[in-house]
Parts: sequence; C-alpha cells; structure tokens
Amino acid sequence: MKSSSRFYPLVLGGAALLAVLGLWLIISQMAGPKILPRPWSILEEIARLWRTPLSGRPLSGHIFFSLRRVLAAFGLAVLTGLPLGLALGWFPVFRKIVTPIFEIFRPIPPIAWIPIAILWLGVGEGSKIFICYVGAFIILVLNSLAGTLYVDRTLVNAARVFGANQKRLFLEVALPAALPAIFAGLQNGLSMAWMCVLAAELVGGREGVGFIIIQGMNMDRVDMIMAGMAVIGALGAIFAALLRVLEKTLCPYRKQLV
Amino acid sequence: MTPEPQTPDPAKRSNPAAKTPKAVKVLVRNLTKSFGSLLVLDNLNFVVYAGELLCLVGPTGCGKTTFLNCLTGFLPLTAGEILVDGQKASFKKGDLGFVFQESSTIPWLTVYDNVAFGLKIKKTPPEVIKERVERILTVVGLNPFKDLYPRELSASLDQRVALAREFATQPNLLLMDEPYGQLDIKLRYYLEDELRRIQEREGTTVAFVTHNIEEAVYLADRILVLTQKPATIKEEVIVTLPRPRRFDDPSFVAIRDQVTAAIQWW
Repeated sequence: MKSSSRFYPLVLGGAALLAVLGLWLIISQMAGPKILPRPWSILEEIARLWRTPLSGRPLSGHIFFSLRRVLAAFGLAVLTGLPLGLALGWFPVFRKIVTPIFEIFRPIPPIAWIPIAILWLGVGEGSKIFICYVGAFIILVLNSLAGTLYVDRTLVNAARVFGANQKRLFLEVALPAALPAIFAGLQNGLSMAWMCVLAAELVGGREGVGFIIIQGMNMDRVDMIMAGMAVIGALGAIFAALLRVLEKTLCPYRKQLV
Repeated sequence: MTPEPQTPDPAKRSNPAAKTPKAVKVLVRNLTKSFGSLLVLDNLNFVVYAGELLCLVGPTGCGKTTFLNCLTGFLPLTAGEILVDGQKASFKKGDLGFVFQESSTIPWLTVYDNVAFGLKIKKTPPEVIKERVERILTVVGLNPFKDLYPRELSASLDQRVALAREFATQPNLLLMDEPYGQLDIKLRYYLEDELRRIQEREGTTVAFVTHNIEEAVYLADRILVLTQKPATIKEEVIVTLPRPRRFDDPSFVAIRDQVTAAIQWW
C-alpha cells in the first residue's frame, strides 16, 4: 500500500503527459506538420541546429550568447539588487527615502526599456544585458526587501533580550529569516532575465536563442521556432534546479518544503 | 530616586516566606505607562524577591504584556521606574530571559543550536556553550530531539526549547508571558512542573504572567492580581501550599477561589 501511494502521483503525472502528447499528435495530424510539427521533429530540428550553423553559429554558439547575457545581467542584479533590498528592509529611514524613487521605476515593464536601451547603449551586448538586468534587479530588490521587512518580530525580540546589537540582529536573525524570500527572488529574477533576453534578441541581434526563434518565424519554420522555445525552456529549468539545490544546501531546515 | 511621600516603599509591603527576609530582585516604583491618552498601567508598586516565582494574574488585555515590555526596556516608561538589582531595567544589559506567548524558536536552527543561540549572542566561550547546552538539554529531556528543526516538533516541545534556551543563559531574571497559553491542559501541567523543577534547581527569579488562575496557584510563591485596564494591583496572595500541589486539595481550591473573586471585575 505504501509504495503504491508513493508512485501514485508519478502515474498520474505520466498519464497526463501522455495525454498531452497524444493530443499534440492528433492536432498535428489534423492541422499538418507545417502548422504544428510532431514532437520528434522538434528534437530533430534541435539536432540539426546543433550540427548546422545558423548565421555562422551552431546552436551551442547561440546558447552561449544568450547564457552570457542572462548570467551577466543576473550577476549584476544580484550584486546590486540584493544589498539594496536588504538595506531597504532593514533601515526604515533609508526605506522612506528610497521607496518613492523606486516606486516610479518599479511598474515600468523591463521590455519598455528596449528602445531607450538601444538608443543609449547601441544594438550590441550592452543594451541586451541592461534589459535583462532591469527585469531581474526589480524582482530581487522587492523580494529581499519583503524578506527582511517581514521578519518575525518575536524572533527579533528574543535576540534583543539576549543583548544582540543591530549588527548581530541583522546577521543572526534578519538575514537567515529572509533567505527563503531571497531564494524566491533569485528564482523569479532569473526567469525574468530569460524572458527579457528573448525579448531583447527578438528585437535585434544576430545571435542567441531568441534570434533562432525570430529566424524560424521569418523562414516560416514552426519546428525551428519550437526548437528555440524548447531550448530556452530546458535552460531555464536547469538553472531553476541549480538554485533549488543551492537553497536546499543553505536552508536545510526547509528540506521538505523546497 | 526618593519615592513620593504618599507612596509606601513597596519593598516593605510584604515579605512572603517570613522566615528569612529575602533580597529584592526587582523594584517597581510608581510604574505608569500610557499609549497616547490610553492609560494602561496605573502607578504600580511592587517587588519581586530573588529566587521567587511571582505570578501576575489579570484579565486578558489588562496590560500584563505591556508590563513585561516595560520591564525589558522595549517600551519607554511614562512615569516611575523599574530597578533590577538596583539598576534601571534594560534588555541591553542582556541578563534577562524572556519566554514569549507565541513560538520564538529560530526555524533555521536545530534544537541544539536554538538552545545555544542566546549564549552565542552573548559571545560565551564555545566550551562553556557546549557544557551548558548539553546540561540543560538533559534537564529538560530534549536530548533525543537535539538535531531536529522546530517545525519538526510539537507545540509543547517547541516551547520547551524556548524555555531551555533561556535557562541556558542563566538569566538574572526570567520573564514569562503566558508561555503555556497555547497548550492543552495535560502538557501544561507537565511543563509547569518542569519549570518549577528547573527554577528551584537554578535558583532563577521568575516573573510569570498568566490569565489562568489555576496555573498561577499551582506555580506561584506569590500572586499579584491586577485589575482591568488601567491596571493597578488589586490584591497580593501569598501561596505557601506544599509542593507538589494538588488541584483538588481544599486549600488549593480556597486560594483559587480567593484569586478568582479578586479578579472579577464584573
């Protein structure tokens, strides 16, 4: 009984996946492979892109470009957004000063920055990294701010009764308490960076996974578009999994939750 | 420093165990606390003797928690003073212990590290931390759970961890704010016995706030009954019943009824 209940979700999930695959095949059969290619032709297309260069680069080269943009932007966002968010959450005066400024920029979607980024930074790497940075930065700030702002007051008071000063309170209570929120921010910020890199590559550029997708559209090749989409999805999933591993290592007490 | 002429020195008001005069641990003089126009504590005068377990009993919302927050120095006093060992009370000195009404265990620390937390904040040498934590874990019977995280514990175990954490720092004065209010009755008796056992063993002075009259009679050396807000001290009840106390003992019931009568504000 015990083992069957453990495999039950696996069976359900597998059945659902098979059902989607079946539906896909049926629609593809009815609409024709030009509108919706069969699942395996997408794998074939990925293999073809891996071997045959597109615009002078194989798939690995395009992945490299997208990856570099995302990681550069994400790294910058972590280095700047995380400390800013933590400081906003921890220092009430700082929060009161900065919040109005931040609130002006917060609701602007990162993609709205594309034209201005291109005018300011050109069509090269700078503007693309900038757009991804804006997207990830705002999410990281908001999450680390919420994490430190909503620390359980009882925990803070418990540490204060022991005579903890501000520095110890921050390092021993606020920061570890904020870690789950920070990790949620890292996950969302990274997805946002992937979203933005696609948008940036769709608008301009001759390399990157977004470029493959836009080329697929120009060449009326749905399999190529979907191959690009699948690659982006896989990359996003890999990085999300890496972050989860990191979270499990840093927050062992949440092991059953993550 | 000199009290107002109309206020009698609270230290002289009573002397419980009567046999030997006890040292005054906490001296509360003319303590008044208001939030804006809302007067919460109205000119409280009393003492806590060294090594005693004092229960403060009063109706819910009468200002018991406010009093404890004044004692720790979290809240500034409107008037009067609170002296611990003759000095102004403040959490900044770090010799207080506080057991909160709600769970205050640190979720990301194991039971062992939770108990060590206060000692670490106080920069106690590692070998002393190890010795004290291991001793107190044994005393409260938490050894089998020392590697678990708080969310893996029941509510009563969780509150025991919080209690052990305070005792590990050997506080000068331990404040308890309805610590067992969330627990069912059986666990409460168990933890009350445990508190009493450790308190006697460590010689800790405890100020225990509760709205549960039976709990107060069971635990206390002395009970102060507070009135409805603005709180003043309505009655002092000295409990000299032998321990372990029994809830069905006629003299226990008599004291319980006396406190109940005093607390009735309707």
